[in-house]
Amino acid sequence: MSKRMLLALAVAFLAAPAWAEIPAEQDSCLGCHGSDPSMSMDLPGGEKLPLHVDQAAFGKSVHGDMLRCTDCHTDKTDYPHDSKPFKTRRDVTVAYYEQCKKCHFANYTKTLDGVHFQLAQKGNQQAALCVDCHGSHAIGRPAEPRTRVSQTCSNCHKQVFDVYKESVHGKAVTQGNGDVPVCTDCHHAHDVADPRAGALSLRTADICGRCHTDPKLMKRYGLSTNVVSSYLSDFHGMAASLQKGKKGKSDRLAAGCTDCHGVHDIQKPSDPRSSVMKSNLVKTCGKCHAGATADFPKAWMSHYEPSLKKSPLVWTVQLFYYVLIPFILVSLLVQIALHLWRVVVNR
Amino acid sequence: MSEGSNGVGTSYLLRFGPAQRVEHFVTMVDFVGLVATGLPQKFYTARWAQWLIGNLGGIDTVRWIHRFFGIVLLVAVVVHLATAFRAILSRKVGFTMAVNKRDFNDAVQTLRYYLGLEDHPAAFDRYDYKQKWEYWSLMIGNVIMILSGLTLMYPAFVARLGPGEIIPAAKVAHSNEGLMAFLVITIWHIFNAHLHPDVFPFDASIFTGQISRERMEHEHPLELARIEGREPGGHGH
Repeated sequence: MSKRMLLALAVAFLAAPAWAEIPAEQDSCLGCHGSDPSMSMDLPGGEKLPLHVDQAAFGKSVHGDMLRCTDCHTDKTDYPHDSKPFKTRRDVTVAYYEQCKKCHFANYTKTLDGVHFQLAQKGNQQAALCVDCHGSHAIGRPAEPRTRVSQTCSNCHKQVFDVYKESVHGKAVTQGNGDVPVCTDCHHAHDVADPRAGALSLRTADICGRCHTDPKLMKRYGLSTNVVSSYLSDFHGMAASLQKGKKGKSDRLAAGCTDCHGVHDIQKPSDPRSSVMKSNLVKTCGKCHAGATADFPKAWMSHYEPSLKKSPLVWTVQLFYYVLIPFILVSLLVQIALHLWRVVVNR
Repeated sequence: MSEGSNGVGTSYLLRFGPAQRVEHFVTMVDFVGLVATGLPQKFYTARWAQWLIGNLGGIDTVRWIHRFFGIVLLVAVVVHLATAFRAILSRKVGFTMAVNKRDFNDAVQTLRYYLGLEDHPAAFDRYDYKQKWEYWSLMIGNVIMILSGLTLMYPAFVARLGPGEIIPAAKVAHSNEGLMAFLVITIWHIFNAHLHPDVFPFDASIFTGQISRERMEHEHPLELARIEGREPGGHGH
């Protein structure tokens, strides 16, 4: 922070009046690249590579007051500069991709665990790089406003976004609600896990639980905070907890939150579209439990603790053992104690 | 009082036949297997449980091992009941495990003896009231465990036969009955078969089939009298 302040101060003293926020060193680059908006270059692939830099946009960006052109364009130190043999615009983006890591090493390292990097490694040129999400010259704070995050992802993941924006979370985001999750809250921003492997699904109790166990947050919506504890105390939660974090492939035994509630299409359970709406439950359970019939969903107590009213049979069995186990144990221990006491007395 | 180590002066009687010894051994191993793979599932958040499950090959494997032992238990119980029925119907042996009024009187007398209100404990026949209690607890417990275990193994099938609420109820029953069985065995059976002053450190008769005449006189005088074809002489000792 202090470094940034220092830089800002330095800029304030040294800045040329024409571009108040941009360091004076930029002058020579912007002399060419800042004046003609149509400046471009033909690439062998047939595309036009725009070479114009919007000074105002760069000036307002987070880097506007601290980076010089050559900080990122490290090979463009003299004039005239050679053009590398780029075939397409994507080649240019890929070539400059690693420039960000000089400063943003921590986030760069995180991306190495992400699915986008894994795809890029396999030669997929479309896999998102830093600038695809953050932009290049006009980089702003990524989550200002928060709705921007999901918009950014939708550039590539349009289908998913269209589903998400109709969900209970997505609708609220659109209305400016800051409580609900955007893409990166569940998927992470840099170390985006591959959801297809199933590992993400096993972690949903933690992911969803971050908000759904927060009493202050849930109170605003009249939602229960024991959804995670009731899940973990039951069979699905047990199996999922023991499986998560295990290396190697294993059959997924247990449903996570999203397996029943949906992923991007989560709705309130009272919404007819919800997969956990009563009338949809047989179908939802049937995804894993082949042959599930009308009464099968009752096997799951819908996040309720057993009570005389909600599930009298379970409640009774539980009470029976709560009484029986201590009674039996105390009886046996008392008898053993008396027996040993008699043995000692007889001696 | 001492038993000759080379058998001199001590005569032995056959208490358990080969089939009963094998049955006990199978049940014992099976019980250990069920407890080792069942309790960690009940207490899965504990570190020892996660360590055990991890070392047994993960939750998936543990569940299959548990089911295997469960099916062994099912077979053992069916075989036991079938043999017992056949033996009783053929009148070769009496229904020596049947609980009768005498057992309640024995229990009262023995407890009074422990409290110093009687001079002698009750004299027992082939099985005393404690053994009968343990046997019937185990049998009822086994039936509960097998039925609830099968329910948890085939929940969709069970929900077709009855209300779906049976399944969480079966889980509660399986989990608690299993814990109770474990506690009863570790406390009661270990005391009676190992720490009991009469048998310490180890009552081997269920493994060797043999029991000394002296122990019979002390622990099962009524049965001994019957075997030897005489009237039981008062109370034990």
